[in-house]
Amino acid sequence: MKASVEWLKEYSDIDIDSVTLGDILTMTGSKVETIDQLGNDIKNVVVGKILKIEKHPDADKLVVTKVDVGTEKLQIVTGANNIKEGDIVPIAKDGSELPGGVKIKTGKLRGVESCGMMCSIGELNLTLADYPNQIEHGIMILDKKLERELGKDIVEVLNLKEDIIDFEITSNRPDCLSIEGLGRETAASLNKPFKNPRKNIDEMQVETKQELEGLKVDIEAPDLCYRYVARMVKNVKIAPSPEWMVRRLKACGIRSINNIVDITNYVMLEMGQPMHAFDINSIEGKHITVRCAKKGEKITTLDEQERQLEEENLVIADDEKAVAIAGVMGGLNSEIEADTKTVVFESAIFYGGSVRKTAKKVGLRTESSSRFEKGLSAENALRAANRAVELVELLGAGEVVEGKIDVYPTKQKINQIPLDVPRINSLLGTNLSKQEMMNILKQLDIKVEKDMAIAPYFRMDLEFVADIAEEIGRFYGYDKLDTTLIKADTTLGIRNKEQNIQKKVKEVLVNSGFSEIYTYGFVSERDLELSNISEEIKKYAITIQNPLSDEYKLMRPTTIPSMMQILATNANKKNQNVKLFDLSRSYKDVKQEVQKGEVPLQEEILTVGMYGEDIDFYTLKGIIENILEAISINHYEIEKETENTSYHPGRCANLKVGMDTIATLGEVHPEVLDNYMISKRAYLAEVNITKLVKYARANKKYTEVPKFPAVERDIAVIVDEEVEVGQIEKMVTRKAKKLLESMQLFDIYRSEKLGENKKSVAYSLVFRDKNKTLSDEEINHTMEAIVSELEKQLGAELRKE
Amino acid sequence: MEKEIAEIKENSIKEISNCREEKELNALKVKYLGKKGELTVVLRGMGNLAPEERPIIGSLVNQVRDELETLMKEKEKEFKRKELEKKLKTENIDVTEPSKKVNLGSLHPITQIIDEVEEIFLGMGYQIADGPEVEKAIYNFDKLNTPPDHPARDLQDTFYITEDIVLRSQTSPVQARVMENQKPPIKIICPGAVYRSDSVDATHSPVFHQIEGLVVDKNIAMTDLKGTLEMFAKKCLGENTKIRFRPHHFPFTEPSAEADVSCFVCGGKGCRVCKGEGWIELLGCGMVHPNVLKNCGIDPEEYSGFAFGFGVERIAMAKFGIEDMRLLFENDVRFLKQF
Repeated sequence: MKASVEWLKEYSDIDIDSVTLGDILTMTGSKVETIDQLGNDIKNVVVGKILKIEKHPDADKLVVTKVDVGTEKLQIVTGANNIKEGDIVPIAKDGSELPGGVKIKTGKLRGVESCGMMCSIGELNLTLADYPNQIEHGIMILDKKLERELGKDIVEVLNLKEDIIDFEITSNRPDCLSIEGLGRETAASLNKPFKNPRKNIDEMQVETKQELEGLKVDIEAPDLCYRYVARMVKNVKIAPSPEWMVRRLKACGIRSINNIVDITNYVMLEMGQPMHAFDINSIEGKHITVRCAKKGEKITTLDEQERQLEEENLVIADDEKAVAIAGVMGGLNSEIEADTKTVVFESAIFYGGSVRKTAKKVGLRTESSSRFEKGLSAENALRAANRAVELVELLGAGEVVEGKIDVYPTKQKINQIPLDVPRINSLLGTNLSKQEMMNILKQLDIKVEKDMAIAPYFRMDLEFVADIAEEIGRFYGYDKLDTTLIKADTTLGIRNKEQNIQKKVKEVLVNSGFSEIYTYGFVSERDLELSNISEEIKKYAITIQNPLSDEYKLMRPTTIPSMMQILATNANKKNQNVKLFDLSRSYKDVKQEVQKGEVPLQEEILTVGMYGEDIDFYTLKGIIENILEAISINHYEIEKETENTSYHPGRCANLKVGMDTIATLGEVHPEVLDNYMISKRAYLAEVNITKLVKYARANKKYTEVPKFPAVERDIAVIVDEEVEVGQIEKMVTRKAKKLLESMQLFDIYRSEKLGENKKSVAYSLVFRDKNKTLSDEEINHTMEAIVSELEKQLGAELRKE
Repeated sequence: MEKEIAEIKENSIKEISNCREEKELNALKVKYLGKKGELTVVLRGMGNLAPEERPIIGSLVNQVRDELETLMKEKEKEFKRKELEKKLKTENIDVTEPSKKVNLGSLHPITQIIDEVEEIFLGMGYQIADGPEVEKAIYNFDKLNTPPDHPARDLQDTFYITEDIVLRSQTSPVQARVMENQKPPIKIICPGAVYRSDSVDATHSPVFHQIEGLVVDKNIAMTDLKGTLEMFAKKCLGENTKIRFRPHHFPFTEPSAEADVSCFVCGGKGCRVCKGEGWIELLGCGMVHPNVLKNCGIDPEEYSGFAFGFGVERIAMAKFGIEDMRLLFENDVRFLKQF
C-alpha cells in the first residue's frame, strides 16, 4: 500500500523526515518496502523567462537565447524549436542537478557559451499524464502567471516534492490498506493525537429509504453479502478530476479516469472500502439483486474481457443480467460514460472467502478483491458511501439525492476481549501495569470498559487475549522486550536412531569421496521413460493438480531419474570421475491412499550414482558394504537381479537383509545411458534407508578378541562359468558352521587347460573355535564335508596342483 | 704379566679407534677376545701364576675385556649409524611432489547449514522431528489456524494433489503432528523440504528447505523466544550478531514477529548482501496462536509456546556467498566439492 506523507499529515502531525517516519512505522508493524522521495533529485532548477531568441552563428539547428532568471540574465543555447520570446520555462542553471544524477554546467555549444539548460517535462521526471498540455519532445512551457516567480525553485513552484512510502500490509490488517488506517498507525506510533478529518462523516445522519428514485436493492445471498449501501447522484457532469485528487491517486499508483470513477477510487484509498459506481440507465427494472451467478452465466468486465461464471460466484445483477462481479470488477454494460446522468454509488460488504474464490476463478485480482478477501468492516461501508457523495458535492460533479438504501441483514459483531493483565504480561514476558496497557490501547481507539477491551469496528482482527497482547507488545516496543531463557524442565536433545543412521551413512560416503546432491522431488512422465522405469513403479507416481510445468508434474515414485539427470549434467560439463549421493525421498501411492485423503508412502532413499576411471560394479558394491558395516549390518545376501529395466541385466543385484530387499545396485542400462547422453558406463544404487533402519545399529558392540589360534586352509575348486561365487560361499558357510571365521576369495582363474566354460575359484578359509585350539583332525573333517557338498551341489571339482 | 696386559690394552685401544669398517672390527674381536685371542690366551696362561696373583690378574683381564667390549660396541654403533646415514641419503624424496590421498567427498551446503543449526538446538535440549512432505491439507493449513477460505492459502500458492492432500508449503505440519502426539514440554526443530509454486530463478525455487522450531510448555513468554533466537543467531552467525524483532502477522502465531539480524557479512555497516540496510530478514516467529494449541489438543489456558521458522537456502547463500539459488540444485561436482 502506497501512501504519500502529505496525505498522512491530514491524520497526524508529522514533524520528522520520511525516512525516520518509515523506520518508526516499520518497528510498529507497518513494514516499509520503499520510500520514494520525489523532487529531491532536482536541484537549482528555477523559473525563467525567455527575453530574446537569436540564430546560432555556426549551427542551423541551435538558437542562442537570453533568459531572465530573476537575479541575473543568462545566455543559453538550445536546440528546441517550441519556444518563443516571452515564454516562461524551467531553467537548470550552472551547477544544477536533474533526476538520474544529471549535472548541468556552463559549457560551449559550437563555440557559443551556454550557462545552463532549459528543461523538458521528461528531464524533470514528469509525464504527459501529469501535464497533458505539454509536449514530450520540447521545452516545458510554464503558465504565464509564473512570471511573478522568476528565479524561484521549480520544485517549490510546481510543488514537485512528494514523499511516497510503500508499506507491506499483513493480511490481518485490511484497515491499513487505507490512508485512514495508516494515519491511525502513524498517530499511535508517533504518540500524537489522531486528527479525524472525517468527523462530519462519522456523525452524519442519512435517512434509509426503501427505494431511491425508483431504485430497489435485494440481497438474495445474505451469507455472502453482509451489507449493501447505495447513494445516488443526479445531473452528473462527467469531467476530469481536480489536480489534488489526480495527484493523490497517482501517489497511490492509480490512474485518473474521470471525476466519478476517481471518487470511487479515492474513497477506497482513503477509507479502505472498495466502491463501485454505475449508470442507473443500464439497470434493467431499476432493481439491483445481489445473487449467485446462474449456470453458464457470462459477463464482460470493464477491461472488455468476457468472463465465464460459476454458480458459487456472487454477482450484482439487474432484472436481466449481471452488471458486476461482486467485489472484483464492474461490468462493461453499466460503465460510467461521458453522457451518464444518474450515478449509483455502491458500497457493499462481501464475504472475503467468496470474493477470493471468484477472483481466482475468473483470474482477476484487483485492488477491490484483494481488500475484500481479507474481510472488511460493514460499519465502514456507510461511511464510504457518504464520503463519496460528499466528494461529489465538493467537486461539483452532480446533485446528491436525499437518503440512502441500506440493506444490512447481519450487523457486524463488535469483539470484546478480556483485558487479562497477568496473562498478557506472562505471554509477553513483561511487567506492565493495567494503566500502561490502557494507555497503549487508547492510542489505538481500543476502549476498555469493565476490564473488557472493546475492538473498534475497523479492527475485526482483534479476537483473543493474544491479539490484545500483540497490540500492547508492538506499541510497548518489541525492541524493549528482554531476552530470557526458558525456565522449564530440562529436556534431552539427542538424535533418534534413524537420524543417527543417516548421519553415519553420509559420513561413510563423504569419506569415500562422494559428494552430496539435492534434487527436486518432481519428475515428468518423460523422465520416467528415459530411465526405463517399469510400468509397475510408474503407476505409483502421484500427480500434482497445479504443476509449474509438465517437467514438474509428478512426485517421483523412484529417485533414479533425479540421479540420472544430475549424472547427465556432470557428464555434459565434461566432469571426470563423478561420485554422488542423494539422501531424499520417493513418493509412492501404492494403495490409492491419496484418493482416500491419506498420505502416501514416503520412504527415505539413499541414491548413489557414479562414473569414471577405475569404477566398476564391485566399487559400488564395496561402498554399499562399507555402509552396512558402519551401521553394524553383518548379515545380508546379494542376489543377481535381471528384471530391473533401469539396470544392465547382467550387472545388477539386489541386497537382502532378513526378509526385505534393502537395495538394488548395478550398472546403468546402456539404453538409459544413451537416453541421458552419457558415454561412459555409470553405476547406480538405491538403498531404502527407511527399511534399513530397523536392522541397523548406530552404536557398535564389543566382542572379545579371540584367545585361541586360527587355522588357515586354502581351497580351490573348478566349477562351471555359470556358478556364482556367492553360491560357493553360501555352501562353505553352511557346512563349516560356527568354525568358519572368514573366507576370502583370492583368485579366479581361467585357462585352456581347465576347459571352456570352466573357472577355478580359490579361497583362503580361516577357522577358529573361540573355546579351544582346533585340531587338524577337526579341520580335515570340515574340509572334507565342504568339498563333498560343493561336488554334490555345484558339480565342483577339487583342484589339485 | 701385568705389563703384557697393559700392552695388549694399549695396542687394542689404538687399533679399535683406528678401525674403519665393520669387517676390521670383527677381526679385532677375534684377535683380542676370540677363543685364541690375545686376552683369552693371557687368561689361559694364568695357571702358571702363583695362586695369590691369580685373582689380581684375573680381575685385571676381565676389566680390560669389559673395556674393550664397550669400546667395540660403541664403534659398532658408530658404523651402523654411518651406514644408516648413507642409506637415508639415497632415500631422499621430493616432499613437494603430489600426495596420494583418498579424495574426500562433500556434504551439500544445505545439509551443512541444517547440521549446524541442528547441533545448536540439540545442545539446547531440542529434538529433531520430521513428517510427510505429501501431507494432508488439514495439517498444512486447518490445524494451523488457516481454514479453507483463509487468504494465506492463496498467498502461499500451494501445490495440490487433491483437495485434501497437498505438498507441504511449510514444515509447520510437523509441529501440528508432534503437538497431537506428545504432551508438553515440547522442544523440537523440524528441518525439511517444502514446496511452493514459484518458478525457478536466481532467488526462487519451487522446492526449498525450512527449519522450524517449536516450544510448548507452561509460562513460555515472548522474551524467551527473543532470548532463544538471540542465542541461536550468535552461535550460528557470530558472537557479535544483534537481533531485532519487528511486529508481523502469521495465522499460526499471535503475537507474531519477523526477526532481523545484523548483517553477518558487513557487521551492520551496510553492504550488497543486506542491500545497505545493515539488517537481514532472518525468520518469522511468534507465540503459538491459541487456536493452534486448541486444534492440536493442548489447552491454551494452561500452556503457551513459541514457534519460529526460516529458509535454509537463503542462509546458505548469504553465508557461503552463493548468488544464484539454481547452483544449489544443479549439483555440478565442481561446485559441490567447494564445500
